[in-house]
Amino acid sequence: MEGKTKDLARSRHNRRLIVFSVLLALAGSLDAWVFIRRHPTGVLAYALAVLRALPMIGIMADFGLYVAALKDEVMRSIIYQSMLWSIGATLGFTTVWGFLEAFVHIPHLQPLLVMPVFGLFVGVSLFLVARRYE
Amino acid sequence: MEDRMLFILMPLVLAVFVLAVWGFGYHHLHPTGIVACLLAILVALPNVALIVIFGFYLSEEKDEFQRNLLVQSLLWAIGATLTLITFWGVLVTFEVVQSRSLVWVFPLFCLFMAIAKFMVRLRYR
Repeated sequence: MEGKTKDLARSRHNRRLIVFSVLLALAGSLDAWVFIRRHPTGVLAYALAVLRALPMIGIMADFGLYVAALKDEVMRSIIYQSMLWSIGATLGFTTVWGFLEAFVHIPHLQPLLVMPVFGLFVGVSLFLVARRYE
Repeated sequence: MEDRMLFILMPLVLAVFVLAVWGFGYHHLHPTGIVACLLAILVALPNVALIVIFGFYLSEEKDEFQRNLLVQSLLWAIGATLTLITFWGVLVTFEVVQSRSLVWVFPLFCLFMAIAKFMVRLRYR
């Protein structure tokens, strides 16, 4: 019964994740298309930036709902630890990169890449933390 | 123990940040090569130490309720930070905003963390 509930929560989470990912891709494509065609400024640029950030809020909220609905304490602990590690790694990475940009003039990292970097760290830390509990 | 370490680290983080922005941001100092790389890592170290201490605190916290409050605040803070960075990233791509320095991500996260902690505590009052 518990397994069924867990599967249901996970499949609901997966479906929402797919929807938000598609929306994120669409918003990104729209941004790129408008940027190439019209080179937006002012209100339009801000509106497009908000549009791009909206699916991100959805993904985060969905993740929060999924974790809150989790009954398995171990699983929840694994997710919390992975999140903490990935937050730490992302903040450490951006701080070091930011100062390197200022000191050594290495290439500027686009702020848009911070999210994929965070996602990468979440994936790696989930794998490593889950292995510790095996 | 963490309290004492934070008491030393917090002013250190602030001092290092101000020094780095003044010295390197405004180009009063001109380190190059390996020295510059080492300085960049050195400047980032107190921030990394703060995160590690926070991790230790979280793992040692016995009170489930307090831990839950902190984790919720963390999730809200990282969500808000990433959302704002995405918004900012698009504006940078559109060349509406010029600033691209990633140094501000950490202070931004700290700000959101403080707000989230306050809001989450308010909810449980």
